[in-house]
Amino acid sequence: MGRKPQKNDSLPGSLDMLILRTLSRRDLHGYGILQFIQQSSDNELLVEEGSLYPALQRLELNDWIEGVWGVTSNNRRARIYKITAAGRKRLAVETRKYAKLTLAIARVMGAE
Amino acid sequence: MVSARRSEALGEEMELHLAEKAADLEADGMTADRARAEARRRFGNVGLKHEESREIWMTRFFSELGQDVRYGGRTMAANKAFSALAILTLALGIGANTAIYSLMESILLRSLPVAEPESLVVLNWRSQPPQNASKQWVHVVHGVQGIFWPGDKGTLVSGMFPYGAFETLGETLREDNPVFSALFGYFNGRNKTLAIRGQATSVGAEYVTGEYFRGLAASPAAGRLISSEDDHPGAAPVAVISFATSQNRFGGPPNAIGQSILVDNVPFTVIGVVPPEFFGVDPAAAPDLYLPLHTNVLLDGARAARLYSDGNFYWIEMMGRLRPGVSMAQAQAALAPRFHQWVGATASTEGERANLPALMLNPGSEGLGSLRRQYSKPLYVLLAMVGLILVITCANIANLLLARAAARRREMAVRLSLGAGRLRIVRQLLTESVMLASLGGAFGVLFAIWGVRSLTFLLSHGQENFTLHAELNWKVLAVTAALSVVCGLLLGLAPALQSTRPDVMHALKNGRGGVPHHRHVQHVLVVAQIAISFLILVAAGLFVRTLGKLHSVQLGYARENILLFSLNARQAGHRDPEITTFYTELRKRLESIPGVSSATLSQSSIISAGHAGKAYRGTMKIGAVTVEGAGVMVAGPRFLTTMQIPILTGREIEDRDQAGSMPVAVISERLARTYFGNDSPVGRRITFVDEKLDLEIVGVSANLRYGGLKDGGSSMIVFTAASQSSPDLVTYALRTAGDPLSYVRSVHEVVRSADSRMPVTNVVTQAAEIDRTINRELTFAKLCTGFAVLALLIAWVGLYGTMSYNVARQAGEIGIRMALGAQRDAVVWMVLRRVLILAAMGLAIGVPAALSASQLVKSFLFETQPNDPGTLALAGVVLLSAAILAGYAPARRASRIDPLAALRNE
Repeated sequence: MGRKPQKNDSLPGSLDMLILRTLSRRDLHGYGILQFIQQSSDNELLVEEGSLYPALQRLELNDWIEGVWGVTSNNRRARIYKITAAGRKRLAVETRKYAKLTLAIARVMGAE
Repeated sequence: MVSARRSEALGEEMELHLAEKAADLEADGMTADRARAEARRRFGNVGLKHEESREIWMTRFFSELGQDVRYGGRTMAANKAFSALAILTLALGIGANTAIYSLMESILLRSLPVAEPESLVVLNWRSQPPQNASKQWVHVVHGVQGIFWPGDKGTLVSGMFPYGAFETLGETLREDNPVFSALFGYFNGRNKTLAIRGQATSVGAEYVTGEYFRGLAASPAAGRLISSEDDHPGAAPVAVISFATSQNRFGGPPNAIGQSILVDNVPFTVIGVVPPEFFGVDPAAAPDLYLPLHTNVLLDGARAARLYSDGNFYWIEMMGRLRPGVSMAQAQAALAPRFHQWVGATASTEGERANLPALMLNPGSEGLGSLRRQYSKPLYVLLAMVGLILVITCANIANLLLARAAARRREMAVRLSLGAGRLRIVRQLLTESVMLASLGGAFGVLFAIWGVRSLTFLLSHGQENFTLHAELNWKVLAVTAALSVVCGLLLGLAPALQSTRPDVMHALKNGRGGVPHHRHVQHVLVVAQIAISFLILVAAGLFVRTLGKLHSVQLGYARENILLFSLNARQAGHRDPEITTFYTELRKRLESIPGVSSATLSQSSIISAGHAGKAYRGTMKIGAVTVEGAGVMVAGPRFLTTMQIPILTGREIEDRDQAGSMPVAVISERLARTYFGNDSPVGRRITFVDEKLDLEIVGVSANLRYGGLKDGGSSMIVFTAASQSSPDLVTYALRTAGDPLSYVRSVHEVVRSADSRMPVTNVVTQAAEIDRTINRELTFAKLCTGFAVLALLIAWVGLYGTMSYNVARQAGEIGIRMALGAQRDAVVWMVLRRVLILAAMGLAIGVPAALSASQLVKSFLFETQPNDPGTLALAGVVLLSAAILAGYAPARRASRIDPLAALRNE
């Protein structure tokens, strides 16, 4: 464990993007999404775990993801989320926006 | 609810999350307890997150609803004609239902406006019919002042009791554990002449026992109400008046208290005023005057005093209030043996003992059932009709929506392919149809307000103190609102499901859309509309025919140009023998009114003869032969002339027939033929056995119908002279030049100059008096004709709309046919044939349905069979003509399609 991982509050709205990106690789249940984000960020990003669920609800209501009841690897009933076609479009938009934003920040930071 | 399911799922997800997290932490070496706590800590506030999610759904729900409503508004505005038509027809349909339902609610469902009405019970009795096999009256009921009505299994039911029964049952209240906390009696005092400060009017009166107001738990609007101290022989005569009377006659309840009034010329003191909503126990009558029971001795004479001790005369009605915790069945079980014991003692023969009345209790919360018995069946019939009209309306609009949904298939397909959820689109379409229906319902309420007023007017036709308290209350409005929403959902469902069928690609490719299945739904709806319209047309036809039959009944006397009105000299204080001279003088003065060619009087109008109570009772004999089935009509001078009844031989009753002179009679031709054959009856005698009265027959009149139009009506009539039997209540008849009602003012002046205290009641033309006996038939005929026109119109629009749409949709196909050489006539026929097939299918369903449904209204028909072939044929012809008319315009349009233009569009 060691140092305290950084909380993800620097980029509002980026949680949605992270979830969509995660789901674009594979279908997962809530806890799995969280684990994936943490592992693939080398534990740099620590999502406030509870916030995941309102976010999932919001994404589902927008028809960007779709939840169906399924079974986890250790045989427990869980809602497995998958990304929809609309969700992929949304992810593309978000990714472009994010790329622009990071590029802009990098320029500012590199300007000295 | 969807949101409850969601909430549950979310809870389960969060639980799973916490469990998995704890398991991971435990695997990292934490103890199970610490792991759970840590998992919770890292998760944050579970409840708060749950709440946040809920907020997301709700905001979403409302924002979508807002979107749907706005979108629906735009769609409606874009199709103004369609929306207006849909809203208008729905308003008519829902409004008619609301109006009929509010009448039903007020007549059949509403409770008395008193405290705890559910603990009130009405006391009735039932027994086998009083006549034995040889038609002789064998029953402890020797006389009755009131009505019987049929109960189950051929029994007879009545609410009238002898006073002795009331006293006996009343004693149970003073015993241990009584079943009632109050028992009270009452009886209809009919019309009394109420004179206040010299101004006389005729008002409805109710005699009530001392416990009446306490039992009903009524509290006075002013003063005090009648109590036990007021109701015994010799008590000071006091009266309670209605709220309306106190306002109209005294300028408000407080002013009335302590005032002296004259009831049938007997002085009474007003002690109290009932609250405005109070109308006693019978929703059919709202008395203006409540009098202590025992005052009937002062008002109704010596005969009334005898009623109290006569155990075989049934006249008083009773209601009881159950003590808390006592059920109606318990009360009946406790009281029935007491009544049985009492009534057994009043039987004097074996025959009477074999058929004793048995006490039974009925719920009293809705008051007496007279209105309910009279109107429940007609109202159910009307409700069924308006219900059917609403079904047609919904089918019609659903059809139009289907057609429009087809036109919108492209729009829907685009939205579906862009990822809109099917449910979302269904919801949006349903929002649109519910909006239409809600607007329809709102306008329907306006229509219903008017409808209730005119229905009350129609039903009350001619009844002076008709008191139907029908209004649109919140209960009715709630039902209307529910009805509108249900209609909206029903009529939107088919089109909504239709337009979101998942063959998106097909719809996108082919702009006009339209799969065969679609047309089936439309056709089913059209066929249903035609079948239902046919039902309503048949009903209307049957009722109109019934009315026609009633109107064509041969009266044998004049219907037009006769003005009738009633007077009661005894109630105004006149006494024998001056009553006779008063009436005689008045007749002469009335006859001298310019424009009145003759005036006469009789005990009642001819149409209501036999209802007014007989002047002569018992058997009539001619020589030794008993006269069977003859009616007696007490008439004044010039009766036959005024009524334009021909005098065949001899003379009619004239002024010379005085109280002291030889009693005379005029008989009708049928009576003369039956009992005298071809001999002249003039100079012969007819005897009233019980009265020991010999009348000399002085003339023979032509036949006429005695009594009502429906109840057989006898034409064997004996006219006797009014001056020789002096009835209290008489009906004057004036033969007028021109509109009889234009003489009303003169009549009032003449009567006022003769006696200013005497109220003129029941002023009506002979034609209206006759119509009022067939009021129900008139109302049904008028309403059903209206309903039938409405149904036909709606079905017509539906058929026209469907055919127009089909022609438009098939323009390409028709174009090809025409390009291949089809004649215009053939195209017209092609469209018309389809219309006729639909109409024929509708009739195929409608005819058997009408045949069985019309049995239900059999009891409302007069000399008309429920399966009357003429009516069925006429309804069929009307419907087919309407169908052809609806199909012809689209057919013409089809035949004018330009093949080239149509093919280019294809």
